[in-house]
Amino acid sequence: MATLPQLIEEDMQRLDDALREFVSQTDATAALIIDKGGFLIAHQGDSSQFDVTTIGALASGAFMANQTIAGLVNEPNFNSVYQQGEKSSMLVVNIDEHCLLIVIFSANIGVGIMRYYASGTIRKIATQLVAAQNRNPGGGYDLSALNIADSEKLFRKKK
Amino acid sequence: MAIINQATKELQVKVVYYGPAMGGKTTNLVQVHDHVQTQAGNKGKLVSLATSSDRTLFFDFLPIEAMTIKGFKTKFQLYTVPGQVIYNTTRQLVLRGVDGIVFVADSQYEKMPENVESFQNLMDNLTSLKLNIADIPYVLQYNKRDLPNAAPVEYMEFLLNNREAQVPSFGASAHKCEGVFESLNMITRLLLQKFINQSAPPRA
Repeated sequence: MATLPQLIEEDMQRLDDALREFVSQTDATAALIIDKGGFLIAHQGDSSQFDVTTIGALASGAFMANQTIAGLVNEPNFNSVYQQGEKSSMLVVNIDEHCLLIVIFSANIGVGIMRYYASGTIRKIATQLVAAQNRNPGGGYDLSALNIADSEKLFRKKK
Repeated sequence: MAIINQATKELQVKVVYYGPAMGGKTTNLVQVHDHVQTQAGNKGKLVSLATSSDRTLFFDFLPIEAMTIKGFKTKFQLYTVPGQVIYNTTRQLVLRGVDGIVFVADSQYEKMPENVESFQNLMDNLTSLKLNIADIPYVLQYNKRDLPNAAPVEYMEFLLNNREAQVPSFGASAHKCEGVFESLNMITRLLLQKFINQSAPPRA
């Protein structure tokens, strides 16, 4: 049976390190790694001012929609979406089959520098994600510590 | 597919509400958003990408954190798909990475062909993503039970729940918040059961 993708402390540390280095190199406001299903995996920079969970869900949808549109116009080369703003701009770049890098940066900074440094960061992230996916299944976290009986009313309705 | 983050002891899960147009998928999310008991900060904003007439254009999205079990946080992302036939590509995009499905059927007699067509469309879209309905936990919600022209539950079971393995089903009147939490708690339970089974260490 397929195991769940699991991220351990070492993975998170390396992903955070890669993002932190990228933010430092580019002066980006925030950098996020998201799964293409919309899950937020890691983020660095000053992301406290943003709703990063919602940004992750919407950015993954927008990226996938644009990729589909590119396919419809017979464009095979599609790996990023750039939104140019007056205050903040955003670049979403493909990492691998499963993940995306989102960069939020001041509109004063050119997108070229983001693209330049993103390529190295993406390689580091992709390497770590492959390591996480290929990890020994037996070494995974055992969720049986959760008691399923406790989940009877995970979501309770207000009285 | 769900992500387990051992560093932060979090499990992230994606649940998609699927079904025919105007069946009550968005209403389910609105009711969960309005009535769920959560600790401060555990419920995100309900985001709706809708047309001016409140028809879902891309998806509705509600991030929500369930109560912590044994120190493990379970973060749920609830999505709806646009029900209208023309938005099939969008439905495929939203289904990517799905862990569990709540199929919201419309109980009105005249909507039965649309219910069956939508369920078939769900199976087709899962197949296009190399997924199989038999491998994904799902529950059926028979919505609009309060309408006078609602078909009997037995008839809907015959139409939609007649596979080898029957799945849990619930009558609902989503706009009154009836059946909404029952469906959500059941899909949650099925999902956690599946994850627990998957994560158990292999037997020697």
